[in-house]
Amino acid sequence: MTRIHDLGGVQGFGWINREDNEPVFHAPWEGRVLAMYLLAKRPEGWNIDMGRHALERLEPVRYLSSSYYQRWLESLVLRMRESGLIEESEIEARLGAPDPAEGRAADPDIVQAMVARMSERHPYERPAPSELPSPFEAGARVRARLADPSGHTRLPAYVRGRMGEVVMRHGVHVFPDANAAGLGEQPTHLYAVRFEAEELFGAEADPATAVICDLWHPYLEPAE
Amino acid sequence: MVAVENRPGLHNLVVCTLCSCYPWPVLGLPPAWYKSNEYRARAVREPRRVLAEFGLELSQQTEIRVWDSTAEIRYLVIPERPAGTEGWNEVRLAELVTRDSMIGAGLPRPVEATA
Repeated sequence: MTRIHDLGGVQGFGWINREDNEPVFHAPWEGRVLAMYLLAKRPEGWNIDMGRHALERLEPVRYLSSSYYQRWLESLVLRMRESGLIEESEIEARLGAPDPAEGRAADPDIVQAMVARMSERHPYERPAPSELPSPFEAGARVRARLADPSGHTRLPAYVRGRMGEVVMRHGVHVFPDANAAGLGEQPTHLYAVRFEAEELFGAEADPATAVICDLWHPYLEPAE
Repeated sequence: MVAVENRPGLHNLVVCTLCSCYPWPVLGLPPAWYKSNEYRARAVREPRRVLAEFGLELSQQTEIRVWDSTAEIRYLVIPERPAGTEGWNEVRLAELVTRDSMIGAGLPRPVEATA
């Protein structure tokens, strides 16, 4: 579903604020949200694609106006509420209550768990299932489908319906549209597809510019 | 992880328009600007102007490739080797590489002139 998070190419945004010597966290609560997000109990069958989908389902105005870690906190609360791990009343009760962690040193076991979680490697490449369609070859001309999948997708709106060229074959990878919907990994071919800027953004685009994004086989059709 | 090389006449830039995908294991947590609505929206449509605002002016002839990290593949930019580094070993060259230059949002550190 084309939700508000699909920002590529959206116009009207202005100056990109860059901070010299930016701190890793702008306030201690951001670090705690990162820890909470990574260490919180995951609902049965939870995966990274469901995590992204939860972020995308934040109300649009809240999504755009929230800081990065605010979004993470809200999406964490959303997933915990939806999976029954937390009740609305518990959230209400805790808001404004004294912080039980106030003044306490970090628990070394939790710190260790954090480091371990952040160091985890989760490869998403999979052995090819037997029923896959034959893959596009490198150099193939393809068109990104003019599709608006009903759930989570990684097909950005700005490439839909546009012609591109397969520039890399990445092998077979977990398919996020299925994985986020709890339909299993359904791994399929993944490609880096190159789109010329004028194809995406019209005659006024910079002619010496191209965008390459990684797209799964179901997002593409042959161009000819 | 896929390394993409900057060369004379070719500059690479990495973004995640849909969220904030970033090569954590190599570059750590991403900076706020990389995760901002503004960068996510503008990097694919007007990378040349974005880079100019970052202080990196590229000629109109320089090809720009913007890599949108829509999957779990993480792209890392190999900055163009600066002039004046002939004979430098890997350790010395590594000191010139910055986080931003590996996103494509900046150049490596300048080679200091030695007397």
